[in-house]
Amino acid sequence: MTRNRSVPIFIAILAAFALGVTVMSEAYGTGAISVSFTKVLGMTLCLCLAALAMDLVWGYCGILSLGHFAFFGLGGYGIGMWLMTARTEAVVRANLANQVIPPTEAEVSDATALQIFSVVGGEDWPWMWAASDSLFLSLVLIVLVPGLLALVFGWLAFRSRVTGVYLSILTQAMTLALSLYLFQNDTGLRGNNGLSGLQNIPGAEAIGQDRISIWFFWASAAALGLTYIGAAWLVSGKFGNIVRGIRDDEQRVRFLGYKVEAYKLFVFTLTGMICGIAGALYYPQAGIINPDEIAPIASIYLAVWVAIGGRGRLYGAVIGAAVVSLLSTYFTGGRAPDINLGLFAIEWVDWWPVLLGLGFVLVTLFAPKGLGGLVDYFVRKDRT
Amino acid sequence: MSSLLEVQGISVTFDGFKAINDLSFEISLPELRAIIGPNGAGKTTFMDIVTGKTRPDEGTVRWGDLGRSLLTKSEAQIAQEGIGRKFQRPTVFEDQTVWDNLRVALKKPRGPVSAIFDRVTETDRTRIADIAAEIGLTDRLSDMASILSHGQKQWLEIGMLLAQDPKLLLVDEPAAGMTSEEREHTTTLLKRLAETHAVVVVEHDMEFVRRLDCRVTVLHEGSVLAEGSLDHVMKDERVIDVYLGR
Repeated sequence: MTRNRSVPIFIAILAAFALGVTVMSEAYGTGAISVSFTKVLGMTLCLCLAALAMDLVWGYCGILSLGHFAFFGLGGYGIGMWLMTARTEAVVRANLANQVIPPTEAEVSDATALQIFSVVGGEDWPWMWAASDSLFLSLVLIVLVPGLLALVFGWLAFRSRVTGVYLSILTQAMTLALSLYLFQNDTGLRGNNGLSGLQNIPGAEAIGQDRISIWFFWASAAALGLTYIGAAWLVSGKFGNIVRGIRDDEQRVRFLGYKVEAYKLFVFTLTGMICGIAGALYYPQAGIINPDEIAPIASIYLAVWVAIGGRGRLYGAVIGAAVVSLLSTYFTGGRAPDINLGLFAIEWVDWWPVLLGLGFVLVTLFAPKGLGGLVDYFVRKDRT
Repeated sequence: MSSLLEVQGISVTFDGFKAINDLSFEISLPELRAIIGPNGAGKTTFMDIVTGKTRPDEGTVRWGDLGRSLLTKSEAQIAQEGIGRKFQRPTVFEDQTVWDNLRVALKKPRGPVSAIFDRVTETDRTRIADIAAEIGLTDRLSDMASILSHGQKQWLEIGMLLAQDPKLLLVDEPAAGMTSEEREHTTTLLKRLAETHAVVVVEHDMEFVRRLDCRVTVLHEGSVLAEGSLDHVMKDERVIDVYLGR
């Protein structure tokens, strides 16, 4: 009945932002925005995408998942395996090219595996790299693997009617377990070394990082825009009413004849997949992924962004993720000048968590509906 | 006369407290029935068992012509079978409009995919308009349910029950918080519904029950104490003891 008015506004702002960054980029514009900062902005858009998923699952469906960054990481590992394989293989081929006898495919494959896995003392392809030589399969798995994990985990949890804080703890356990599993050298994903060199796109060696960075920025903006439209459409219909009903009174929805578990599972899995896509766009810009990325704290940050931005508003999640993660980059990236108090100096790298915590308390006290709620406040004021 | 719902010998114990004790109950289609009883008599627990929220320790709950057991079904499945429930405290989706509340309740396929692609048809529109007229909320359709008065929320929940179009309606204290005029309206509505549905009304208010003018079941300490017309049960010694004694 009601269409979401925020969609055209959001898309317009996103498009204007993308255009502005392009015009100031090194590749296509004045160069006011450096390549590395272009990457930071592109990565921020990916985090906004993950926050959008978090808002769907928490803000709309009421499931406080503290494990959605696991799906983000799985997406990153998915694309990372293809990037590393293809890139290393190209290097190996170049090295073997001047041999008298041309190398066989098996030799190339063995040499590539040795190159990738010698750092953890391995020389064979682990089973989970089976699809890494195909870009198409890798792209499919980026969505399927997080989706499957979310489906199985969600099915087990929701079927037993685990809700509230207990579910949050379980999701924390899930992401912790996955992170510890990936830390092991035997797992086959290079343990704590993770996957690196992901910024080098195979087949695009001749194209500089200046252009690649802006392409990934565009892709991230497009993914965010499309998901925003899709999510707004999803929650504006009857499905949205039911899901918000589940958030507010799950038992009531059951007595209306809806299988609450099926709806929760649907939202949980869908948002897991969105996080997978976000991660697959993020890590080629970050250049490296390791198991630390999916430590429990990462998923908690995701919830903090959505809480600060405002739950149950799609733009709130995006605003929260953008503001907090950019501030975090500013304060922990060594850009913020330290404050010298004589005996004692405030070094922002250490003090950022304090600032974030303070901000969180202030938002909770003075803007309970988050930064997105403030937008509502001013928009509504304009109209009357 | 075949029975729609047949409950036989159910018992349920919470932490040693026997909330329902060997209770049997039967209702046919169509029928209007009132359940009365003092606090703690097991009225709400009885409804919880029928709707699948609570599982009894023993006994059977059979449904429909085929007498299929409801005990293995989930709340959602039981609701889909055609049992609708109105809660004692009005429970509507406060954060949504009256129109949306009714739309969600409307009898349509209940799966996630059907919900995603659900379109409001002309039939739906008419149905919602009819129900809104019935419950007197026609000009409140676009208001948030949270700003309705207590009585209006009661009405909205009754409207949601109508929208579900169940065979059996379990109505817990429908008249609480209503003006005498609204009570009158509720009585007429319930009586009319009972011409084509099975309706069970739980109520404390004897005056209201008298106006319903139907068969009454008196519950006490988890079992049926007496059953019959209101005048009949009010003459029953044990009922008098329970209500007036002590």
